[in-house]
Amino acid sequence: MPILDVQDLRVRYSRTGAEILKGVSLQVDAGDFCAVIGPSGAGKSTLIRCINRLVEPVSGRILLYDEDVVTMPTRRLRETRRHIGMIFQEFNLVNRMSVMDNVLSGRLGSVGTVQSLFKLFSRDDVERALTLLDRVGLTDHVDKRADQLSGGQRQRVGIARALMQDPKLLLIDEPTSSLDPKIAREVMTLIRDVAREFNVPALVNIHDVQLATEFCNKIIGLQDGVKMFDGPTEKLDRRMLDTIYAMEVL
Amino acid sequence: MTVASATGDRPFDDRIFAAEHQRRRARWRSAAVAGIFALLAAICLYNILVIDTDWARMGSLGEVLTSVGRFLAIDFELIPHLVEPIIETLMMSALGTALGAILCVPVIWLGAHNITPSRWIGYPVGRMLMTLSRSIHEIVWALVFVSAVGLGSLAGILALAMRSIGFIAKIIAEAIENVDPKPIEAIRAVGGNRLQVLRYGIVPQVLPVAIGVIIFEWDINIRRSAIMGLVGAGGLGLTFHRQMVMFNYPGVTTVILAILLLIILGEALSYYARKAVI
Amino acid sequence: MQDMATYRPSGGHPVERRTWSRFRYPDTLIAFGVQVGVLIFLGVSMVYMDVRLERLLEFGQRFSALIVDRYYPPEFSLLSQPRYLQAILDTMQMAYLGALFGLLLAAPLAWFAAFNMTPNKRFLYPFGRLTIMGCRAVHEMIWTILLVSILGFGMLAGVLALTLFCIGFAGKLMSEEIEAIDKGQVEAIRATGANELQVFVYAVLPQVRVAWTGIAIYTWDVAFRAATVVGFFGAGGMGWYLQRYVQQLESQRVAAVLVSIVLLVTVSEVVSAWARARVARAK
Repeated sequence: MPILDVQDLRVRYSRTGAEILKGVSLQVDAGDFCAVIGPSGAGKSTLIRCINRLVEPVSGRILLYDEDVVTMPTRRLRETRRHIGMIFQEFNLVNRMSVMDNVLSGRLGSVGTVQSLFKLFSRDDVERALTLLDRVGLTDHVDKRADQLSGGQRQRVGIARALMQDPKLLLIDEPTSSLDPKIAREVMTLIRDVAREFNVPALVNIHDVQLATEFCNKIIGLQDGVKMFDGPTEKLDRRMLDTIYAMEVL
Repeated sequence: MTVASATGDRPFDDRIFAAEHQRRRARWRSAAVAGIFALLAAICLYNILVIDTDWARMGSLGEVLTSVGRFLAIDFELIPHLVEPIIETLMMSALGTALGAILCVPVIWLGAHNITPSRWIGYPVGRMLMTLSRSIHEIVWALVFVSAVGLGSLAGILALAMRSIGFIAKIIAEAIENVDPKPIEAIRAVGGNRLQVLRYGIVPQVLPVAIGVIIFEWDINIRRSAIMGLVGAGGLGLTFHRQMVMFNYPGVTTVILAILLLIILGEALSYYARKAVI
Repeated sequence: MQDMATYRPSGGHPVERRTWSRFRYPDTLIAFGVQVGVLIFLGVSMVYMDVRLERLLEFGQRFSALIVDRYYPPEFSLLSQPRYLQAILDTMQMAYLGALFGLLLAAPLAWFAAFNMTPNKRFLYPFGRLTIMGCRAVHEMIWTILLVSILGFGMLAGVLALTLFCIGFAGKLMSEEIEAIDKGQVEAIRATGANELQVFVYAVLPQVRVAWTGIAIYTWDVAFRAATVVGFFGAGGMGWYLQRYVQQLESQRVAAVLVSIVLLVTVSEVVSAWARARVARAK
């Protein structure tokens, strides 16, 4: 049974606007590190954001462990979001808070509102945060303000925050676009390794095809809101790439 | 003067002439604008210097300078009597700013268009309250409150509070309107509820700005607080007034120097405090 | 699913139960101390000045009763009297001259007071800085009182007081704008061998022109606001009538004057906000 099963997803941003996603279907199984590639404007970012309903789809089903995210009531949606870890292109950290507090905020869904208002997290949570910060290599930066870190370091904080949730699925939106190539490679390696270690399937939106084919076992190619390719990385050949990126000649 | 060109090119000469013409026109325009300002100034000066000023009463330049000279001394005996008004002035400015900050909350809630409950009524009302608070001079506010609660520092505190609301609310509302949506998105993605989004997404961005502007306004309020006494609302202003009516010119100067000292202190404190917060 | 309790980081070596505390010495202590200190100061202030919160609530009821009783209806007929209309004109004239001369004097002073562009760091810089600070620090009403005692009642004292106020107000804003300019343009003009004044005119002025226009409009607005009140202390204008009626306890006339002041200042504020927006857009 696939962990994530997207069926015929349609999205448009305004009631009369163009359709961004035109009936996309895909499946993510356990152990997958699945990349979504395609030219800009293909709808990759929208697709990722639909899975946890940061963007509302018009129609379609998104089954996470057989539960439809699209029709969930708000409270259940929040509970579900607790189990979906998200890593952002621009890190989306709270700049004025410390690295530790940013990682701890991954547990917000599970900590009582009153405690979270006073930043009172349990000892277990703190320990888990410290262990994760060790794992991503930021032990010496625990109390620094997030905006004092470099881009690569900030993304690691983002990774730690996502893992803090003990997630069942990782959604990753262009994790390397804001990083220079060497750091980008380090971050992708880290993400792939932790996804494997923690046994979490991941869906990555990535524009760098080279990185996608190197790190991911499965590729989904989108063009203009339509799925053009869905299969293991080995099956992605030059001809298929040209078809997906046909528009990108300009 | 036209540039001699190798082929005697007519269109090129025309373009130079046109460019010169443009620049001359622009110069005339600036001259005209300056002329209007100068003319208005002349009219006003005539009204003031010729019609309004009683030159005879003022006396000669020598007499005016003597007047100024009377201020150039310090009344040392007055200094110990200044301690209490100084403390009162400082406290008035602190309480006035604090009260103003508290009263700001509903105004900010109305006047920030991403959190206002009503875009068509609430938002304009919020903005209007901010403008009103800043448009009414602190002396006018002081007069209003002296007649409402009587003489004394309470009137001054209330006047300062009402005067401060406008600026503090404006800055904080703008900070809320310009908040970075990315951390907010992250907290939503993690499963946070609205209160948590507020506490982790919005507050860390807005709070330093809010504290900074409150400290800034407190500094400005020291200056305002010093003159509240001129209309009976407490503080150094009262001492100033008393010295004036007693014609104790050195005393007046001493009070002004005390005010200046307070302001310098306030500016220093405000500068370092704001640096620590931002 | 990975069990966090027994997870070992990839180094392979075991990890003891770690602790981390939010408390940081001395920062947390200082921050806490300052917050407590401020609250204590506010509390002490309230006690020292006998600020009783009940009076505040009383004041609410008393205020509305007061308004209806004494200030209502405002004697609006006063406002159409030629003498009062003249006073409004006087106020505008004072504000105009105060702002005009204030800005004209503030411009060179701002240049002196801008650390990056000042023509002379040893004398002109401190001179410019101190002059602007001095003008700012003294409240415009204090300037008014002092000048009235030297020059007598009337608009002259008002204009001078407003000029000094505007020098302080505009001077600070203008010098901050100069300090924010792009160095590249300045270097280019300097490289041609221009003297300091030419550098100012050709490299600084073009860059600050738009911002300074906005500041000028803002200054006029603030000057007008102050001009309506300077009359209270002896300079001409609407404030003079305010003082007279307050002293003679003619509350309905006071109300009329206050309403006219608020109305005019609001109009001025709206017009100046519109003008500043246009200037910013026409950039």
